[in-house]
Amino acid sequence: MEELEIAGQIIGGKVANILLREKSGKKIELGDLLVVDEPDGAYLILQVYDLEYGSQIPQTVRELAAGLKLEGYGPSLDFLEPHLRNYVMAKVKAVAFVSKGGAKIPKVLPSFFSNVRFIEEKDLSFLTKPPNPVYLGKIRSGSKILDFDVFLDGEEMLTHHVLVPATTGRGKSNLVKVMLWSIADHKKFGMLVLDPHDEYYGRSVMGLKNHPNAKDTIRYYTVNPPPGASTLVINLRSMKPEHFEGLVDFSSTQQQAIRLYHRQFKYDWIENIIKGTEIEGVKSTTLTVLQRIVRVNLAVYFEEGQIVCKNRVFSDSAGEATISTIIDDMEDGKIVIVDTSKISDEAELLIGSAVANEIFTRHQDAKAEGKLDEKRTVGIIIEEAPRVLSAERLAKSGNNIYSKVAREGRKFKVGLVAITQLTSVIPRDVLTNINTKIILGNEMATERHAIIESAAQDLSADDRTIASLDKGEAIVSSIFTRFAVPVQIPLFEEYAKTTKPSDKKIVFTG
Amino acid sequence: MKFAHIADTHIGAHREPVLAQLEAEAFGIAIDRCIQEKVDFIIISGDLFQSGIPDLAAVDDAVKKMHAVREAGIPIYVIYGSHDYNPNGKSIIDILDSTGLIKKVVKGEIVDGKLELEFFTDSKTGAKLVGISARKAGLESRYYEILDREALEKEQGFKIFVFHSGLDEFKPKHLAQMESIPVSCLPRDFQYYAGGHIHEKSEHALPHYGPIVFPGTLFAGSPRDFEASAKGTQRGFYIVQFNKKIEKTEFVPVKVCECVYHEYDVSNKNSVQAQYELQKSLKELDVKGRFALVKVFGELAGGKTSDLKFAELKKMLSEKGAIHIDINRFGLVSKEYANMKVAGEGIGEIEDRLFKENIGTVKLSNADLKGDNGIKLAHELLKVVRQEAKTGETKKDYNIRVAEYAVKTLKLTETME
Repeated sequence: MEELEIAGQIIGGKVANILLREKSGKKIELGDLLVVDEPDGAYLILQVYDLEYGSQIPQTVRELAAGLKLEGYGPSLDFLEPHLRNYVMAKVKAVAFVSKGGAKIPKVLPSFFSNVRFIEEKDLSFLTKPPNPVYLGKIRSGSKILDFDVFLDGEEMLTHHVLVPATTGRGKSNLVKVMLWSIADHKKFGMLVLDPHDEYYGRSVMGLKNHPNAKDTIRYYTVNPPPGASTLVINLRSMKPEHFEGLVDFSSTQQQAIRLYHRQFKYDWIENIIKGTEIEGVKSTTLTVLQRIVRVNLAVYFEEGQIVCKNRVFSDSAGEATISTIIDDMEDGKIVIVDTSKISDEAELLIGSAVANEIFTRHQDAKAEGKLDEKRTVGIIIEEAPRVLSAERLAKSGNNIYSKVAREGRKFKVGLVAITQLTSVIPRDVLTNINTKIILGNEMATERHAIIESAAQDLSADDRTIASLDKGEAIVSSIFTRFAVPVQIPLFEEYAKTTKPSDKKIVFTG
Repeated sequence: MKFAHIADTHIGAHREPVLAQLEAEAFGIAIDRCIQEKVDFIIISGDLFQSGIPDLAAVDDAVKKMHAVREAGIPIYVIYGSHDYNPNGKSIIDILDSTGLIKKVVKGEIVDGKLELEFFTDSKTGAKLVGISARKAGLESRYYEILDREALEKEQGFKIFVFHSGLDEFKPKHLAQMESIPVSCLPRDFQYYAGGHIHEKSEHALPHYGPIVFPGTLFAGSPRDFEASAKGTQRGFYIVQFNKKIEKTEFVPVKVCECVYHEYDVSNKNSVQAQYELQKSLKELDVKGRFALVKVFGELAGGKTSDLKFAELKKMLSEKGAIHIDINRFGLVSKEYANMKVAGEGIGEIEDRLFKENIGTVKLSNADLKGDNGIKLAHELLKVVRQEAKTGETKKDYNIRVAEYAVKTLKLTETME
């Protein structure tokens, strides 16, 4: 090893708390990946999780020397050979042991007093590109970005669910856009994106609509569609009682009434509730409450003998095929973006629930028929996930389709990508089922603790590292990675430029 | 001023003489009514014929009617429907267009990546028409993606947009898998949108768009149409009154025969029971002078599907005076013999379902032949073998050409060489 590469030397410590001294001038950073070479070409990858000063000079002497300099008694006063006497100590943990057999979880300490060097791209060659790649960014060592792309296998990642925890402004939507852009490259998975901020399609800015394959892979539903996009309109007949489960609080009497309406009117059950059709077994007071609930959640009213939808999303005449088409598109490997920015939270969650329920059922049926292998894996991206996954919500309203997907979706090739600022409110059993966490910066200690406790790797020492993650910096903790991989997520606009535009020509025949 | 809007006549769809006659009758009734109403022009928004090269006897009847329309001074404006298109060259629409019997209102070119369309102005009324023809499998959606909408929207006057595509927002649930386009693909601010392709009539109103109208088929273009008609779906066309804007849209029903629909579920019955019950129930039907449509479906608990004597049932209905009998047994299976289940709107949908159902039963190692890839390839191959011989092409040349296409489709050119 050339001396120039040396970043420091191991001087002590124990498993998960190895101490090394930084070579003067090398500036080891929090989160840096370092390498200790071992015999036979093997090596250990270490990660820095804490930094502190070390000094051979007693504290009182250092304090006095500082006082003398500050008070003007000796402006040029310095220690003899200061780089030898004062230095930086780094606390590191071994994250991977790499040998010819590949990468493993390290079970030995690196050789004592051995030199440590900064990681290079070639040290990461064991991280191969998976068959169904979803791009996350480049490997990051501290704040240095290595020219080494990080992918996760979409099939594994989606079926085992993904959590993206971060506070505002840390690049959550940028990350999701990057992931979706790379998914659009190969059309291997279907995705449903419930987009409450209308930021993924890129109506007037760069977005997924600009992907060269957008015509074949991106579908955009919105209440005011630009040319080529579909109107978000869902027929009331498409909605089933189970779509409301766990999302709307119904008493047992109301649930019973809904069952009776559905049994009697089948697809027209909502229409008859709105119209106030009285049926045997349902009291008029119950019907009145149901009407109010439908009005609140769907914004649908009965006025002057007509059904009127105030948010223009639910309809009694149009949108009969919308849910089916969305599901067909997802099964065809398309990314379906539903702009919910102009509708209520309740309506957004119900639309997502209708799609998720139907696709879950289709996949369940396929499994029962032994045909699940023929189905593509599908994923559902939901922002502000605690709306449907928080302990409070689940305790109050019971399980909903989103929690069902989180718990059982793996068996049916249905995955969840949950984006949240508040990991701590999601129950542990749900978090445990989410096996990939793409952790962005988070200044809230309680949230960091919740993330760390549920991570796929031991991140107990990484609290500070997570707190210090800058915009675009992330740690990927997944059961499908050998260690918690630090990544730098590219700016979406820059990443999108790397894709070659399509040169397909259209010939017009009248 | 007024115009008629007809769609999906599918002339030549039926080889059975009775059906072919009813089909011609329906077209004749519609055309006669247009002449009688003195409409200023007629729009046929696609699928005028069942294929690009249709049965000539059917064409003959239709042309006579069109000739009568021309004699009455009424122009007919058309676009290609997905059935009218002939991938191998000129279609009957082009021939009738060049004779002046009909006028295709699709003219445009791609300039700097944008599709610029030209308006056709009806000389009598000043109405401006422009349209986009359909292609097989919804390929016309590519044209909408590059359509220069702004230029079309800027044009002043009374404008009609003619199209032959399903619309995402309005297609019925049973057509969910059909290729369609979103409404946003249509240029805004036209006074009328003359649609075709959807075989059931519907009218839609949306902000920024004039009425979007699908008249549905005049008679029947697919087996499902018969079922829908028998269940009460009205068939006909629209007569639209306009001045500077639409004043009235009126649906004109066209009924060429009475239909009787009867369905029977064989589930949990053996073939003897089913035959007995079916026979009994059909005996009670009043089918005299009517089109009898019988749907038999479900899974027989015992016996074979072939135990059911459909020929006998047909004979019985015929003797009772039915003008035509259609027994749909696509949904019929037996426990003993797992027949293929087929149910669908059209041939394409049925083929797709059959491929999907059966591809898993063949063990293949090549990924290109499995799952969705395999289904896609099967469709492509089917398309290849469906090609008809070109005019003057010998059988030998035809065979070679089809074989070459098939080899190319299977990506076996190198292997074969």
